[in-house]
Amino acid sequence: MRTEPKTILYFLWHYYEPIQELFDAQSRDGYIRKETLKEICGRHGHDIEGKLTEYKILKNVNTDYEFRTVFYGLLEFIMNEFKPMLPETIEKYHHSISELFRKIRKGVHEEKFILMQRLTDLTSETRDFSEGVENNTLKLLAKTRELKANMEKVDYRDKIRKASEWIEYYILPMNKILDIHHTSSIANKLFEIANFANEKRLLVSEEQTRQAFEKLYYFLLQTNDDLLRQSKILTNELLPLIERIRTESIILSGFIEFLKDPFDVPVPQMLKTSRDMVYNRHMELNATEFWEQFERVEKVYINEAGSGKPAWLFDREAYKDKLDKSLPVEDFFDFLGTEWNEKQEVFDEEKFFAFTTLLFEEDLKLEFPDKSSQHRIRTENMTYRVPKIKVDKNGIF
Amino acid sequence: MEYSKYHKTIVQSLLDGKFLLRNEPEFIELREKEEFYSEFFKASFDYELKVTTDYSYLISSETSEITSRDICIFFALICYELDRDGKNFIDELNYAEFEISQVENYFANSAYIDLIHSNKQLKDKDSRKNFINMLSRRSIIEKRSEEKFTFTPAYKVFIDFARDLARKRMEEQQPTA
Repeated sequence: MRTEPKTILYFLWHYYEPIQELFDAQSRDGYIRKETLKEICGRHGHDIEGKLTEYKILKNVNTDYEFRTVFYGLLEFIMNEFKPMLPETIEKYHHSISELFRKIRKGVHEEKFILMQRLTDLTSETRDFSEGVENNTLKLLAKTRELKANMEKVDYRDKIRKASEWIEYYILPMNKILDIHHTSSIANKLFEIANFANEKRLLVSEEQTRQAFEKLYYFLLQTNDDLLRQSKILTNELLPLIERIRTESIILSGFIEFLKDPFDVPVPQMLKTSRDMVYNRHMELNATEFWEQFERVEKVYINEAGSGKPAWLFDREAYKDKLDKSLPVEDFFDFLGTEWNEKQEVFDEEKFFAFTTLLFEEDLKLEFPDKSSQHRIRTENMTYRVPKIKVDKNGIF
Repeated sequence: MEYSKYHKTIVQSLLDGKFLLRNEPEFIELREKEEFYSEFFKASFDYELKVTTDYSYLISSETSEITSRDICIFFALICYELDRDGKNFIDELNYAEFEISQVENYFANSAYIDLIHSNKQLKDKDSRKNFINMLSRRSIIEKRSEEKFTFTPAYKVFIDFARDLARKRMEEQQPTA
């Protein structure tokens, strides 16, 4: 007994998840293994194997299964999961459409019902062709965008390969099929048929035939518009996008190859500049090197007072010796004046008092012959009044 | 012979290792007198003048290989990171304005961090700042501010280098008949 259509549709709706998985399995492997069917159904807790064959959704292929074409097409359509067809597969429509057109043109005045049938078939074939092209374009566009986003982290080299394959096997042949200016293209053939239908819809006297041609004409106009849109998507979006993927992937592959060992690859030649600007990154280093050569190795002492005058040191022994040799000295400060005049140096307070300390040496005997008689001694900043002091050797030593 | 008013700038810029770019009057002048300038640089300095539709520059046999290699590494890293960031790196190099902080971020989080650390011109933030200034002096980038820059068409030299390298490697790997 034939199953009710609603029952089949309800079945598909109710068991959609396992059916979807079976569809994926067939799309992936080309058929559904018996074990895969059991595993998928088991996982969802359903025993639907019998129903799937009873409703003629699946058919046996040896011991395995596959979807019947009509169901596979339906699932493909509702899931929008088309496999792009090879353009040579689409090309078959060129032959069938051309043949139907040839027969229509030849038998336009022959048996009417055959002509009507041929016109209907021509419409159907054209529709299939147009849908095939549309599905292919959409699918390729989706796949290309997927490849571009690289969600599956496809290696750059694989990206180049895929992009190149799609260009070579799908996009360029599709473009050829849709090129209306190419005499052997299907688009060109449809354009020719549209012109013919246009002529007939105006010239044929028989009403029903005229209407059929008119219907075909408007259908072909619509189809040509659709095909033109597909062609534009191919040339304006798909081809540049996929070319871009290919180019970018090649460049990235190159850079990744380079980064593997950047010192093993000859790089582009450039001019070697010799000028060192003050903002050159080596400038600091060069300047440091320059200054370092002036650095003194030996120790230096810096007078922090910063007077710039060398410190005067009193060489007590030398002066004592000199005084001893001149003894007895009648007037100590007179001796001091003579001594200092010979040196012709600035005579300041420090020197005056330093010399005066010689008088306190224990081996000297001091005498003050005339206390009222005083000398004036000028130093750099002061004038001192000093008595006459006679100095002689102390008799004890 | 009468020299053009751009003669001095053309010669000086190219000898400084700069790229002359398609939008500059010097470049237009150079392209018009390409033959003269090719001979001029060859005879005067033994330098080769490269002129494309987008840029022009000098090369010498005594090449600045370290600089060129570091620039290639810089571009390789930028393109790789832009792609990883989900961007079309060719579009970005062509049209986008880059922020130094964005470049710094790419370098700091790069998978090639060992290579970066071992490179004198790229190893840290200060080195990279100097490096970016060098790119600016050579007209490989154009500074829009202290923090922003765009790439000039000179980037194509390094993109072409990567493309040629990839093709060469693919040819090498193809089985010989």
